[in-house]
Amino acid sequence: MYVAVKGGERAINNAHRLLAEQRRGDKKIAEIETDQIEQQLSLSVTRVMAEGSLYDRDLAALAIKQGRGDLIEAIFLMRAYRTTLPRFAFSKPIRTADMDVSRRISATFKDLPGGQILGPTFDYTHRLLDFTLMANSEDPLDAPSGEHPVDENMPRVLDDILNYEGLIQDEPVPVDDTAPVADLTREPIKFPAGRDLRLQNLTRGDEGFVLALGYSTQRGYANSHAFVGEIRYGTVSVEIEPEELGFAIDIGDIELTECETVNKFKGSKTKLPQFTRGYGLVFGQNERKAISMALVDRAMRADEMGEQIMGPAQDSEFVMEHSDNVQSTGFVEHIKLPHYVDFQGELELVRRMRAEVEERLAKLEADEAKSQPEAAE
Amino acid sequence: MTLQSQTSELLPGFDHAAFDSNAVFRVLLDALSRPGRIYDVPVSVATPDGLNATTTATLLAMADMDTTIWLSPTCVTKAATDHLKFHCGCPISDDVAKADFAVARIDDDLSFITHLSVGNAEYPDQSATLILMVDEISNAPAMKLTGPGIKDSHDLDIKKLPASFHAWRAENHHMFPCGVDVIFASPTKIAALSRTTRIEVI
Amino acid sequence: MEQLANNPADGATAYNFAYLDEQTKRMIRRALLKAVAIPGYQVPFAGREMPMPYGWGTGGVQVTAAVIGPNDTLKVIDQGADDTTNAVSIRQFFAKTANVATTEKTAEASIIQTRHRIPEKELREDQVLVYQVPIPEPLRFLEPRETETRKMHALEEYGLMHVKLYEDIARHGHIATTYAYPVMVDDRYVMDPSPTPKFDNPKMNNMAALQLFGAGREKRIYALPPYTKVKSLDFEDHPFEVQTWKDECGMCGAHDSYLDEVILDDQGNRMFVCSDTDYCAERQEAGHRGPQHHDQPLGNASREKAAE
Ligand SMILES: [Zn+2]
Repeated sequence: MYVAVKGGERAINNAHRLLAEQRRGDKKIAEIETDQIEQQLSLSVTRVMAEGSLYDRDLAALAIKQGRGDLIEAIFLMRAYRTTLPRFAFSKPIRTADMDVSRRISATFKDLPGGQILGPTFDYTHRLLDFTLMANSEDPLDAPSGEHPVDENMPRVLDDILNYEGLIQDEPVPVDDTAPVADLTREPIKFPAGRDLRLQNLTRGDEGFVLALGYSTQRGYANSHAFVGEIRYGTVSVEIEPEELGFAIDIGDIELTECETVNKFKGSKTKLPQFTRGYGLVFGQNERKAISMALVDRAMRADEMGEQIMGPAQDSEFVMEHSDNVQSTGFVEHIKLPHYVDFQGELELVRRMRAEVEERLAKLEADEAKSQPEAAE
Repeated sequence: MTLQSQTSELLPGFDHAAFDSNAVFRVLLDALSRPGRIYDVPVSVATPDGLNATTTATLLAMADMDTTIWLSPTCVTKAATDHLKFHCGCPISDDVAKADFAVARIDDDLSFITHLSVGNAEYPDQSATLILMVDEISNAPAMKLTGPGIKDSHDLDIKKLPASFHAWRAENHHMFPCGVDVIFASPTKIAALSRTTRIEVI
Repeated sequence: MEQLANNPADGATAYNFAYLDEQTKRMIRRALLKAVAIPGYQVPFAGREMPMPYGWGTGGVQVTAAVIGPNDTLKVIDQGADDTTNAVSIRQFFAKTANVATTEKTAEASIIQTRHRIPEKELREDQVLVYQVPIPEPLRFLEPRETETRKMHALEEYGLMHVKLYEDIARHGHIATTYAYPVMVDDRYVMDPSPTPKFDNPKMNNMAALQLFGAGREKRIYALPPYTKVKSLDFEDHPFEVQTWKDECGMCGAHDSYLDEVILDDQGNRMFVCSDTDYCAERQEAGHRGPQHHDQPLGNASREKAAE
């Protein structure tokens, strides 16, 4: 006896309830609050803002809570919210040279104007589980303030120091800083894509994907040997200039990590050799992402530099089409949706082809059996 | 033209942005999907001097800051440009080659149409749409249309359509997939020619 | 009207009619007008993130959102069925955000959004069929690069596709493509019909209804105006043919519909039923019976004796 499966609607509603129940977990344990997430899981928050392309710490914290800590789910929630927001204005270009710096290091110079500022970093922690955190008794000492105030003047290693000697390829600030910048959320990507579009794609790209590609460039799937010229992390202010006002107004600060790499030099017997460069910029403190982005940015400049393409990181069509985790996760996971109509077509074909092969084999066997007695004679 | 439309004061746009633009779009979608069929525009809008009602409704529904409009010298009144700038926020250009939508009257000098963008072989969608304001659209057998969207054939008559239009259109059809699509806009009705439509002048 | 999902986290009232903002709808509508003017050509559009995952119908949903008006009646099917979970979810989305009437009856719908099937019932001029498309590029599995496939379409260079189909014939004695079977539109563009079974391909040819295709993740829209020539690719010595079944629908006895196989036990027993649930239900209501029909699963259906 066969009864068609009905009740998809009820099943969905029940599934939503189960999900809500699992999100809440054991009710004897206090419910997590979004401001706790915002404060204490701040690196998750900034990753969700970066890949969600929306700078709002509270919403990111909410998305993380709603997504049960699944950051790609949280990024998806942010994106779907962002998509319906009206555009009021485009900001003026931010100036990372004026960053209020919390951390700034250079791997290319031991000391430099403005100094190296270690700042908050996991880099030199020993990765030993700290069981006091589990005992819920964390009460860290107040961090001491630096002996010297941070220099007002913090020249950028690539533009202000290396470029002073002409040692690195020049990337002048455009004269017209109101020129349009591509936006892949507003227009479809066309290939070959300009660097503005590539950088936008990378900064919202999946951290793991960009990391793996950056890593691949270091292992021979590209040849763009890189040093970190500078990483700086801190806050910059964002300004808009409403048409009717005619002057810029500050609408708030954002936290950013910027990485500039100094890469393999280029030149010839007759052309002065110069270092080349890669660029990474990402919301929040995320050096892993910023460095990876700079590596992949440099790799994707292969065409511009006249380099042979030998690895996936250099192939901007490949990178840009596969970097978005909301797209990838949707399409990878969609194969769990019903496909039985398609599968039925395949089943029918495979059965038919099997029957044909069996028939053919049977005929061959029969022919052989027929011919054998004759051969014996 | 109504009295109201001759004043320089700003006229209202759609009563209900979402529903009205949907209704106008559906007419345009039907018209371009079924070239030569004649459709009423189901929305009444205030019409600035220089445009007619169906053209105004079409632009209110389809134009915004991402589309460039070109208006022929007889259409490019202050009332029309103010109206479009205010309600659509669209740039209005005097360079016909930049137009996403070009608007003209049937008795204008139509020589500009050869300068309209036709797209390119890889992106034939990057082409202009011509909105031609006409006095009357009917099913009289002046043109016999065939092609995608048309079961067997449709008859269409556009009053005062000049021979030069047909010459241009024949050439345009040969450029397929590049080409310009045409919307005929009478004061109350709309009919369209897709670039795929074959025209036999009877 | 659908019952609204009982999900307190959804605050649909904050959104515009049919979810998308008007500017996004205009952008999609402009793409749709180009799509009908260039049948079978894939128009790039700035697809938006939707509140459902990519690969689950975001392209179809965006097209439907741009087309749907307050007077429309929407039907959503997935694998031919109205009550598969993803179809239910999309139908609920529009019932909630556009407050439109919904239906399971093909004949009552003005817009039908579909994944993987074309209804068996012939569609009319006043209907729009919206397909959800995962990979809009029919040449994608032959050439992964968009820059290349775009060139191939521009130059009408479809030799590679014929070579691929012919290789199938050489190896298997058949063209081994059973769904997403490529078609030639109006003798110009090779088009992916979306992963519908090739059984449905002939329905696309000269269909009275407008057919719109939306690929959200790949950000492409394409269309078939009504009465457009759509031909499945084939060869003189291997003409295109559709799937056939020895069996009939176990419920309604249909011989002319696409059948799904239902496994009844682990002893190899199975039966076949129409994948188009509305078509099957309508036939049963009209008194048609298949061999496995046991009683009146539709509650108020006629009490005619089932065929033994
Ligand atoms: Zn049936």
